[in-house]
Amino acid sequence: MLAEYLTRGVKAGLVAGLVFGLFMAIVANPLVAYADELNHAATEDGLDTSHSSEQNAEHGHGHDTHDGSGEANHQNTAVSMGVNKTVSVVSGGLWAVLLGGIVFGIGFYFLEPAIPGTGATKSYVLGIAGFVTTSGAPWLVLPPVSPGAQQSLPTETRLLLYGGMIVAGGLTCLLAGGVYNRLRESNGGTIAAVGAAVPFALLAIPTVLAPTNAVEGALSPDLRAGLTGLFVFGQVLVWLVLATTHAQFRSADDSSAEFATSNPDSAVVGD
Amino acid sequence: MATASDTVHGRIEYAQTHLTPAQLAAGFLLVAALGFTLLFVQEPLVHDSLHNFRHAAGITCH
Repeated sequence: MLAEYLTRGVKAGLVAGLVFGLFMAIVANPLVAYADELNHAATEDGLDTSHSSEQNAEHGHGHDTHDGSGEANHQNTAVSMGVNKTVSVVSGGLWAVLLGGIVFGIGFYFLEPAIPGTGATKSYVLGIAGFVTTSGAPWLVLPPVSPGAQQSLPTETRLLLYGGMIVAGGLTCLLAGGVYNRLRESNGGTIAAVGAAVPFALLAIPTVLAPTNAVEGALSPDLRAGLTGLFVFGQVLVWLVLATTHAQFRSADDSSAEFATSNPDSAVVGD
Repeated sequence: MATASDTVHGRIEYAQTHLTPAQLAAGFLLVAALGFTLLFVQEPLVHDSLHNFRHAAGITCH
């Protein structure tokens, strides 16, 4: 029942959280810190990027103590790099647990009958839908930015855009699933798959209509592209691990006839 | 998928009959609080300690 679904989702979240926490600790933290350091150095060179300095003031102990602007930067950062790193690793874990609980716990419970595919496929389909909703669609408008970059849109606008694209992405996935199920009954799998692709193409409309967010920073374009790619990879990793472990847990509790009370035999769809 | 209970509607009804409003509210609050803290809080102390994470998750609100 709901509790079992939720448990399975959260368990998948814990595994993914462990993986993403490690990713944060080993890969993302050092790289973000490095990028911040580069930004900081650039700021000191006279490039007045007060924005970037908000986040990086901790790295420059070596050279900003005797520098007026460096002092000012320091006051803008509320916590030390150690706290930032630790909290970020823990948050990475919580993030995956949250996604696991919501999407693979509650979401899977309600949507399972409507998700295309059978058995493990359902977990992977849901994983793709989750990625598109929480990250993919918003990133069409606001791609992940590298540290210290200045963005032309104000924060409030970006939050609204991000939230709006989450809603748009979620609706797109639901629509695609609905189209797939409907076409599959009448026209077969191939046409259904093509039909399901149409809603995703519709995501281009809000992407084009949204105001552009110009990004500029002190980092080289190569490094920025690399960091963006890394962040994308990190989120893809989270969803992949979530879906894989969720599928594993599902086949492990194969006796998990969730609605066993009413239908012992047909409750597990296609397993 | 053919069975009566295995539809989205069936599951929603099942949840409605088996969950108390208090449980629903608690679950919703928990999710909202955690999600909001991780993603949207701009308060400097919270924001700065989540800085690296928000970058890695591709959400940057500063």
